[in-house]
Amino acid sequence: MKRLRFAERLVQVGFVAAVLLAWQIATTRGHLSPLFLPPLVSVYRDFVSLLASGKFWPDLRTTLYELALGFVIAAVAGTVIGYAVSRSGYSVKIFDPLFAGLYAIPAILLFPLYVLFFGIGPGSKIAMGATIAFFPVVLSTIAGLSYVNRSYVTAARSMGASPPQMFWSVMLPAALPVLLTGLRMGLILAFLSILGTETISSFSGLGHRIVELGENLDTSNMFAYILFVIAIALLLNAGLSFAEARWKEPPA
Amino acid sequence: MTCAEIHPAALRVVIIAATLLVWEFAARRFGDPLFISPPSRVAAALFGLAHQREILAAVGLTCWELIVAFVFSVVIGLAVGLIVGLSRFTRGSLYPVILLFYAVPQATILPLFVLAFGIGPASKIAFGVSHGIFPVILTVVAGARNIEPVLITTARSMGANRRQILTSVIFPHMVPSFFTGLRLGMTAVLFGVLLAELYVSQSGVGHFTTEFTQTFQPQNLFALIAVLAAIAVTLNELCRWAESRFTRWHA
Amino acid sequence: MTQTTPAIRVEGVTRAYGAEGDRLRVVALEDTSLSVARGELLALIGPSGCGKSTLLNLMGGLAEPASGQVWIDGERIRAPLPRKVAFVFQETALFPWRTVLENLKLGMAFQGVPKEQRYSRARESLNAVGLADFADHYPAQLSGGMKQRAQLARALALQTDILLMDEPFAALDEQTRMVLGEDLSVLLARTGKTIVFVTHSLIEAVFLADRVAVFTARPGRIKTIIPVNEPHPRSRSFMTSEKLSRLRNQIYELLHDEIRRTIADSPTLDTSAAKPLYTLRDPQK
Repeated sequence: MKRLRFAERLVQVGFVAAVLLAWQIATTRGHLSPLFLPPLVSVYRDFVSLLASGKFWPDLRTTLYELALGFVIAAVAGTVIGYAVSRSGYSVKIFDPLFAGLYAIPAILLFPLYVLFFGIGPGSKIAMGATIAFFPVVLSTIAGLSYVNRSYVTAARSMGASPPQMFWSVMLPAALPVLLTGLRMGLILAFLSILGTETISSFSGLGHRIVELGENLDTSNMFAYILFVIAIALLLNAGLSFAEARWKEPPA
Repeated sequence: MTCAEIHPAALRVVIIAATLLVWEFAARRFGDPLFISPPSRVAAALFGLAHQREILAAVGLTCWELIVAFVFSVVIGLAVGLIVGLSRFTRGSLYPVILLFYAVPQATILPLFVLAFGIGPASKIAFGVSHGIFPVILTVVAGARNIEPVLITTARSMGANRRQILTSVIFPHMVPSFFTGLRLGMTAVLFGVLLAELYVSQSGVGHFTTEFTQTFQPQNLFALIAVLAAIAVTLNELCRWAESRFTRWHA
Repeated sequence: MTQTTPAIRVEGVTRAYGAEGDRLRVVALEDTSLSVARGELLALIGPSGCGKSTLLNLMGGLAEPASGQVWIDGERIRAPLPRKVAFVFQETALFPWRTVLENLKLGMAFQGVPKEQRYSRARESLNAVGLADFADHYPAQLSGGMKQRAQLARALALQTDILLMDEPFAALDEQTRMVLGEDLSVLLARTGKTIVFVTHSLIEAVFLADRVAVFTARPGRIKTIIPVNEPHPRSRSFMTSEKLSRLRNQIYELLHDEIRRTIADSPTLDTSAAKPLYTLRDPQK
């Protein structure tokens, strides 16, 4: 068993090493212009200097601000509306397919409209993030609250639970895993679409910075910023998984 | 007829109609025509746009890009998914590498795609494929992984050889996951292609959205977006229909 | 409320699913009457779908009869009476996000027990069922038998006069059932509660109960009530006695045709299955 794990690790490391090697060869020996694919060393140097200088802060702050605001709006609206809809089976039958249908429309199509309304500042990105995060949250809130295991509700009823007790002590905890999944999906989608829309039309933010560096043919720094954003994304993912695991599973 | 007896679908139609009416009224009364357009004017704009050759061409090209990107995503995703998913070793070694690639926010490398493939359809298709392959790979691998061992044991006890187990047990079992992957892949392709289209403002649909935004023509912008949204929904619905059609036996 | 007032009285109750004239209408329980004396242990046994769980729910106020009435301690009931009636369900109704101890405390909170008393009562009940060492475990960490004992502890902590149990051991294997049955008999003899429980197991019914009510196939009504005149607590020797065998055989004869009839019936509406009320929407779609 241990040998198997080692072999797997070997393949993974080998893969990554091969990619880096190919990169190195392509940039030093190959015919690729350094404007398209900068040398590994140069990117590494720029990446380190980027981290050291802290030049990323203004853009990072903008992107995180847009993400936070957009997500909070979506989370609040989604859970409140989702709760309201879940109160009656009839309203679920009306609104759930409605929201699901709207979710099928790619939300980024709305971005030009938001640019029209809010300009190319953070406002349009916040609106974009909020719109795209809203749907997973509202749909999972509806699903989580309407799908509480009947035996919990019956048991609580038999023991005399009042409506507030039923909601806070039974339905909400029972629905929490589904709710958290929806919130996590919303956060990730919001992050991706905010980065994407910053790329399209913005004057600040990480996505914008990357495009700007690309247009100025400063590809080495552009790659450094891309690596930085990847690192942020991985951190975000890891943080979410950790938080979700802690919330969902009771300590063993 | 009490409230509870009205069919939900009918009530949904009423709600949508009421929303349109409120929009119409509010836009006419309070809306600044530079930013908001009532649905009636949007509908009129739709007819106007339909007569403009370049816009039709741009929309048509976008459709073409979506379909091509989807087909490539499915083919490549299925191939990679099968290669990785069918052997425990590759699942343990290569799958995490794929997941690592999946974790990369691709919006950041959009400029690279355009640098590499130009501002024509190729970059949009490539970006779409780069988004679309992942759901397909992930669901195919999951489908290969989730087979209850008892099914394979049963087949083997009846004398099936490796190839028969593959074609008669494993592949049919993976079909529902595959179709789910198709549906999710379509959503991803839509995101990728449309994002790329909006980014490239020199040609294609992105050119027109930029133009309408900068010249404050909300009715045209609404109309164009509505058309693209309709195309997206249609493609999504097709995938969803396919999924339900081919997974009837699945739980 | 005199000494002779039955703890539970059911008079002519009927419960059906589906409207009159509906082709798919299922009459779960038809015109059933029954009295349960104070401190008595009554078993309800019958084929699947014969309405025994329905009767239990009606007795506890969890459901309303289409016709007929239910009295608890001489008072007509239409809604749950948490101070008088506690339930133990077949599927584990322990809240998985709380520990065993917290589950008991929550149940008491629902009933309205003052905060100061909850901990000591919880401890007491856990000791009674032998789960004192598992108070801080989560339900997922317990075996099936332990989960049911925890549910029983929760019901005991509510200190009601009446305990209604719906196939409490159904999810357990037979060996565990037999041993838990012995424990239960000892425990219940000590508490002196009025207990009605539903079971599929003939041996369990005879071993534990003072009387066994045998049901017909659907539409369910009580075919016969068989007395088991044996003092509590029941001992191991009763389990292997000739008397128990005789009673068991008697019940089997009564049930045999009803079971055959239930199997032959094509299923129309399975009222016992938990069906989701709304179509599940995958939040990731």
